Amino acid sequence: METLCCESLSKSFDGVQALEKVGVCFPTSGIAAVIGPNGAGKTTLINVLTGFLRPEAGRCLFGNREITRLAPHRIARLGIARTFQDLRLIQQVSVLDNVMLARPNQRGERLLPALLRFGVAEEETRNREEAMRTLRFVGLEEKASDPAGELSYGQQKLLTLACCLATEARVLLLDEPVAGVHPEMVEQILGLLRRLRDEGKLIVFIEHDIAAVRQVADVVIVMDNGQVIAQGPPSEVLERPEIMEAYVG
Amino acid sequence: MQLTLNVLVAASTLALMAVGFGLIFSTTRFFHFAHAVVYTGAAYLTYCGSVQLGLPLVIAVLLGVAGGVCLGGLMEVGLYRPMRGRSASALTLLIASLGTYVVLQNLVSMTWGDDVRMLQSSTVREGIEILGGRITPTSVLAIAVCVALLAVVTLVLRRTGLGRAMRAVADDAELARIRGIRADRVILATFAIGSALAAVAGILVALDVNMRPTMGMNALMLAIVAVIIGGVSSIGGIALGSLFLAAAQQVAIWQLGSQWQDAVAFAILLVFLLARPQGLFGKPLRKVAV
Repeated sequence: METLCCESLSKSFDGVQALEKVGVCFPTSGIAAVIGPNGAGKTTLINVLTGFLRPEAGRCLFGNREITRLAPHRIARLGIARTFQDLRLIQQVSVLDNVMLARPNQRGERLLPALLRFGVAEEETRNREEAMRTLRFVGLEEKASDPAGELSYGQQKLLTLACCLATEARVLLLDEPVAGVHPEMVEQILGLLRRLRDEGKLIVFIEHDIAAVRQVADVVIVMDNGQVIAQGPPSEVLERPEIMEAYVG
Repeated sequence: MQLTLNVLVAASTLALMAVGFGLIFSTTRFFHFAHAVVYTGAAYLTYCGSVQLGLPLVIAVLLGVAGGVCLGGLMEVGLYRPMRGRSASALTLLIASLGTYVVLQNLVSMTWGDDVRMLQSSTVREGIEILGGRITPTSVLAIAVCVALLAVVTLVLRRTGLGRAMRAVADDAELARIRGIRADRVILATFAIGSALAAVAGILVALDVNMRPTMGMNALMLAIVAVIIGGVSSIGGIALGSLFLAAAQQVAIWQLGSQWQDAVAFAILLVFLLARPQGLFGKPLRKVAV
């Protein structure tokens, strides 16, 4: 299985150093939490890893392949999916259609198969079944036909996770998956992350909720001022008083 | 009854043009003015095939539609896609589209002249009588083709991955790409479908009435009004918008005279822009970049 790594990544915005020689190698599977105060460079790191930002120096590797300058959709096709802090969803279509859109390699998205219906009906049925299975997994089966924009905030978080899963990606980069969510739904989302870990996926998630990090993370990476200042098992990193005091609060 | 028949005939070709324009607009969010020259170009290509080359009319019509689809597709691949790649704004794309329209419309004028041309012989033929009204066989064909094509497009949009992908690209092209959708291919497919509808509309009007190099822009302006009345996001809405507009124009011709039909159409446009800019059946649009 490929390992997701970055080496000496640097990125600045208008003179502010968002990433400074960041080097991280994530485990091949498991749950890695990225924590740190606002402005520490956590989201910038995910944006660089997924091709949304180009670093000024350094490189990102997925296995032996360099992905530093690949477009976001090419990185997604390699099996690295992501969610956004601001919950980007296709608002015009239903919950089910959002998940179906994320299914890979659909012939029905091409003009001629769509017009002539060669094998498209069977593919649609198969994709619908797979999408419903994913929705069942995240607990949104009953909301399948609702417009995506009408879901509650927590349900929209679940839907973005379902969309990531529908891409069949092995690596999921989640930007604050439980922030602002009802405590019961936090437990539900953390339970899903554990199940995905058990299926062999790598989940990298940015989070401010230290209790949630303690519950599920196998590895914690602490960032501040664009640098990685600590990493290791939560039992070790989160016990260091200087980290808890200075960077987490 | 005659008024109803006239409305149906006028609405059918208008609806084809309007749905084609609406599809392209809702996916790309810019005014593709060169859509007008697809309408004109297809009619003149059919004229070239049928009258100048002596091909059977059916073959000439297929040639015209294929030419229209290629023309629309070439504009997307050769002009709009590279411009989008350089982050051109909707205004820049609109200006490029207007420029393309002027160049190509002049090319049509240079090639075939500015005189009115007829696709069919000018002999006046007796129409078919329906419930006291008269309608030409070509008009009946226009209505049937319009209903059939709009049904096919509705099915494609509602029942296939392409339709879903078109809505996704319209909503958030960047997110659609991240989800693995090939947005450029989806936009090209949209141009192909929209251009095919415009080409068929242009050919039907040329068959039923006549053709001139400026016919496309007149049709496009009315199509834009129909799209605004019906709402960009709904094919049924655009079809009803076309019907409403055609009815208003026919009543204006009947009551006020034909010179007032465009004034009535654009007065309705102004009313909708002020009172209900999202149209009768549309949803308010969000600003997106493609």
